[in-house]
Amino acid sequence: MSQQLSPDEAAALLSQVESARATMRHVIREHRGHYHLWIWGAAWMVMPLLAYFGGDQNARYFPLVCIVAGALSFLAGFSQTKQIRRPANLRFGAVLLTVWSFAALFPFVLRIELEVRSLYANCCLVAMQSYVVAGLWTDSYLLWLGVAVAALILGGFFFFPALFWIWMAVFGGGTLIVTGFYVRHFWR
Amino acid sequence: MPDLDEIIHQPVRLRIMAALTSLDAREQVDFTYLKGKLDLTDGNLGAHLRALEEAGYILVEKTYVERRPKTFVAASAPGRKAFAAHVAALQAILKPQ
Repeated sequence: MSQQLSPDEAAALLSQVESARATMRHVIREHRGHYHLWIWGAAWMVMPLLAYFGGDQNARYFPLVCIVAGALSFLAGFSQTKQIRRPANLRFGAVLLTVWSFAALFPFVLRIELEVRSLYANCCLVAMQSYVVAGLWTDSYLLWLGVAVAALILGGFFFFPALFWIWMAVFGGGTLIVTGFYVRHFWR
Repeated sequence: MPDLDEIIHQPVRLRIMAALTSLDAREQVDFTYLKGKLDLTDGNLGAHLRALEEAGYILVEKTYVERRPKTFVAASAPGRKAFAAHVAALQAILKPQ
């Protein structure tokens, strides 16, 4: 059958293959988690800015911001699985649950004083630990994002304590939002 | 020179396989969404998917989402292999002997 096709016909068929692949690459970018990065990036900007402008006592609003972001993230994920879905990976879910459960125990076992900035930096580091784990499991951009933001969190926490909240808004939330744009437009 | 796959060779099926093999192995795409992306009609896409399913090149899963029937489609492992071989055969035609 190969011999019956001219090079021009073969080239036309390969061009159709490339066109369909390009369409799907666009679809894949629409489903690679940029909505979650934007939602949580915005949350990671709002929380430190609340503390920066209103004082550390505004940390009491952080759980509320997380609940709103979690709900939006769930809705975005639910809406996208109507188009492209993958079977739920229960083992991966269990790994993330383990990461968060043990991380929640460490401060109590170590009897660390729960100072707001330390607690916030720790929660953000655990979130980035989840990104690294997810990156190892699924899509490698999450791994690099997790490592980079974790390094930025530690840098702000140890070297720029006076600027901590602004640092976290810009380099924590900002990095997630910018990565969302990168994933949406350029990733794969 | 490797042979072309007669099932995949049909242009619409070629585009369908190109689209499905672009997804990860565990990912499935909704029938209606795929139809829109490839600019096909219900009947056209349905007929070609049946041919590919009978050849074992795709997996079709019918389910309900919010009480509405939904069909999800994915490329099977043999389908990915056959498609890769078919594309290699097309590329071989382009190469000078």
